[in-house]
Amino acid sequence: MGNLYHNKIAQWIVYVVFFAALTIIPMTVSDSFLLNQLATYGVYGMLALSISLCWGFGGILNLGQGIAFGLGAYGMAMTMQMQSQSESNPIPPFMLNNSLDHLPLLWQPFQSTAVGLVLAVAVPTLFCAAFGGIMFRARVSGPFFAIMTLAMLSAFYTIILDRQAYTGGVNGLTPPSSFVFAGVEVDPYSPTAYWVVLCLLAGATFVAKLITQSSFGLVTQAIRDDSERVRFLGYSVAGYETVIYTVSGLIAALAGCCWVMLVQYVSPAQLDVGFSLSMVIWAAIGGRHSLLGSILGAFIIQGAQSYLGDAFLATWLLILGGFFIVVVRFLPNGLASLVESGLGLFDRQRPTSSPAPDGGRPMPAE
Amino acid sequence: MDLGSLINALILGVSIASIWLIAALGLTIIYGTAGVINMAHGELIMLGAYSSYMLQFYLGLPYLLCLPVSFVIVALVGLALERGLIRYLYNRPLDTLLATYGVSLVLMQGVRLIFGSDPKYLAVPEIFQSNVMIGSVSLSVFRIVVLLVTALLVLALWLLFYKTRFGVQVRAVMQDKEMAASFGINSSRIYMLTFALGAGLAGVAGALFGVLAIVLPTMGASYVVQAFLMVVVGGGSLAGSVVASGVTGELQSVFAFFTNDTFARFIIFVLIVAFLRFRPQGLFAQAGARR
Amino acid sequence: MTGLLEIRNLSKSFDTTKVINDFSMEVVEGTICCLVGPNGAGKTTTMDLITGRIKPTSGQILFATDDITARHEHLIARAGIGRKFQVPAVLRDMSVRQNLEVAYSRQTNPFRNLFKFRKEGLKEKLDEVATLAGLTDRLKERAGILSHGETQWLEIGMVLMQEPRLLLMDEPIAGMTESEIEKTTQIFKDLRQSATLLVVEHDMGFVRNIADVVVVMHMGSLLAQGSIQEIEADRRVRDVYLGEQEAA
Repeated sequence: MGNLYHNKIAQWIVYVVFFAALTIIPMTVSDSFLLNQLATYGVYGMLALSISLCWGFGGILNLGQGIAFGLGAYGMAMTMQMQSQSESNPIPPFMLNNSLDHLPLLWQPFQSTAVGLVLAVAVPTLFCAAFGGIMFRARVSGPFFAIMTLAMLSAFYTIILDRQAYTGGVNGLTPPSSFVFAGVEVDPYSPTAYWVVLCLLAGATFVAKLITQSSFGLVTQAIRDDSERVRFLGYSVAGYETVIYTVSGLIAALAGCCWVMLVQYVSPAQLDVGFSLSMVIWAAIGGRHSLLGSILGAFIIQGAQSYLGDAFLATWLLILGGFFIVVVRFLPNGLASLVESGLGLFDRQRPTSSPAPDGGRPMPAE
Repeated sequence: MDLGSLINALILGVSIASIWLIAALGLTIIYGTAGVINMAHGELIMLGAYSSYMLQFYLGLPYLLCLPVSFVIVALVGLALERGLIRYLYNRPLDTLLATYGVSLVLMQGVRLIFGSDPKYLAVPEIFQSNVMIGSVSLSVFRIVVLLVTALLVLALWLLFYKTRFGVQVRAVMQDKEMAASFGINSSRIYMLTFALGAGLAGVAGALFGVLAIVLPTMGASYVVQAFLMVVVGGGSLAGSVVASGVTGELQSVFAFFTNDTFARFIIFVLIVAFLRFRPQGLFAQAGARR
Repeated sequence: MTGLLEIRNLSKSFDTTKVINDFSMEVVEGTICCLVGPNGAGKTTTMDLITGRIKPTSGQILFATDDITARHEHLIARAGIGRKFQVPAVLRDMSVRQNLEVAYSRQTNPFRNLFKFRKEGLKEKLDEVATLAGLTDRLKERAGILSHGETQWLEIGMVLMQEPRLLLMDEPIAGMTESEIEKTTQIFKDLRQSATLLVVEHDMGFVRNIADVVVVMHMGSLLAQGSIQEIEADRRVRDVYLGEQEAA
């Protein structure tokens, strides 16, 4: 039988059941505020997924995922802001307050919703491709890459803060009305918004899962294990690292778009170092080697945080920090590894069973 | 821009540089010796500020005495941290980074629970609050104190690392841990002491920053990234951090003169990323230490 | 007859020390060439230079008449040079099967591999190599738990999976038992039918068994080159290398 945890078919079944369970939620939850909140967890799930893909499978610790998320969010916010402007009133109010008398060039493409959406996703993705390409080609890796992403994140944070007339500065952007796509208004408190997020989360998870099980996934795992050795097998390590970093950035950019659609707000706080690090915490506690584990990590931690409320926020963060230390020290593969060893125990009780059909994978994708 | 204002910007740059440097000093020692990326460094700075606050508030200690006592207090915290956590993670650099971030969360929230989120202020002798004119720049006396303390600490560290037996041992461990062990040097003890020393330096920085800005549980977060960049650009050596901070401080001051402070920081970040792209080993690469 | 691999006037300095000094040699297609010499002669450095791990200070390396000097490692590997490292380098966290599968690198383009789940010819090749390397029963094991000899075999297997035209073997029999050495000898001789080998080895008995040509390095330069009989008769070689081995 082998450890059920490593059985690919079992994995797919668990994933399908998980997403099927999520589809039931809008039918049982009538509180639209709660539904909106659950949808934002979906966004956090996408972020955790993107970290798991990049860090768990590619071995690239990215402390600056807020860049892709933030750029996506700003792109979406700009698109939604421009939807509220009309021919007679083409300039967003905050620009007028900053005494801009014309729409800046940077904003003009966002007058078209389609172009705006494309830019909101393409700009962060291309940034990741360029930044990752440059860094990985120079063989910047490990903690160094982590610090470079931190520096880059800080750079974006400061520039957005500084260019107040273009970005809304510290106040950020607050598009006054819901997102309208192809004539349909996506009310952030409606089941429609929830469905949009769920579809994107499920789609991203599906693609990510396929990638980890493909030849590409095998090579990235090899790179995580020993990047130096893999070069001599003929693979361009920088190429593989850039691709996985970019795919991860793409998922985060989509998450950024969804987030603004749900909360109608973006500010430099979304590019704060602390937020990017909490994405890493979700994946680490859930289990970075498991896509589903990471998503659940985000659900559990963010869920607990809002359940406990602001009154206990400090206590909660204290506990979270402590728990995170314990996980890193004693359980480097997160809570998912508990499930793995649990199922492993079950397997050991029946050592005479037939060999696994897929050949059994000791340190595989999940 | 005329020559006079450029000179003003350069003088101000020295002061900015000293702030960048003292924030990075402790980290330089820790990273340079043990290769540990200590994300809790900012919170150690914050603890230094709160230590000084407590010493003043409860014991009425004069400000200048708070500096050495804060050093000792935070050094002890660092010692406990190293013994309790860091030493188990020396060969897992990414995990050290994450675990110390957990530590930073715990310290920040712990302080918030004890002292609340409202700002605290450190009292300094009146003379520190006045301004002096250097050329045509008006600089607060306290900034000169910061500069002097930084210079003094750099000198002391240089003496410690290059003129004492302890320094020889530290450098031996940095070069080759196994080799050093065969000469009877206890590398575990060296790591412990340097970590405590680095933490103590963060404590001094905190006592100073508590005056430059207000004392808040979150104050550390703003220093940690820039401190790191100084260490990485410098390559992990003391001289490297001094030069990196000097150049960065001056550049920031000059850029800020042309644009504004925030935009200047943006340019600095981008320049640092570009620099590290071409010289990932930093200004002065040294043997060992690295990974 | 021209060499598959030609090294021309290669030099490499670290700081001021010349590690490789005006070194030239060639490996003829379909032969086994053994590179020998005392410790520090520059054998592994030569391998590093051929595979692009380090860049030469001066000189040229030609592979199948292409100039591959200072190309990136992965491009050199793709050109058809496989390498086994002195300290066996396998992917310790992955299974033996995965190690071999990764090494089967006909398709290296990340985009083409992104959603690729089946590789043509993989199964046959993997069975063949696993049998050859005696790892058929160990395919599911994690590579990190293999014994030293098995790890050596796995890495040789990985190089074979790459299907290279030239195989560089850095101390392939270090740590192997007598019977394992015998098996390796046989495999290397079989390989000569389809590939070319450059082997760094200290064990002169093994060298005597497999070498078509022996190249002796000393202080980063070529000391002697010829058949094993010629080398063993060479006075200079006896002085700097073989004599030292007998004494040891």
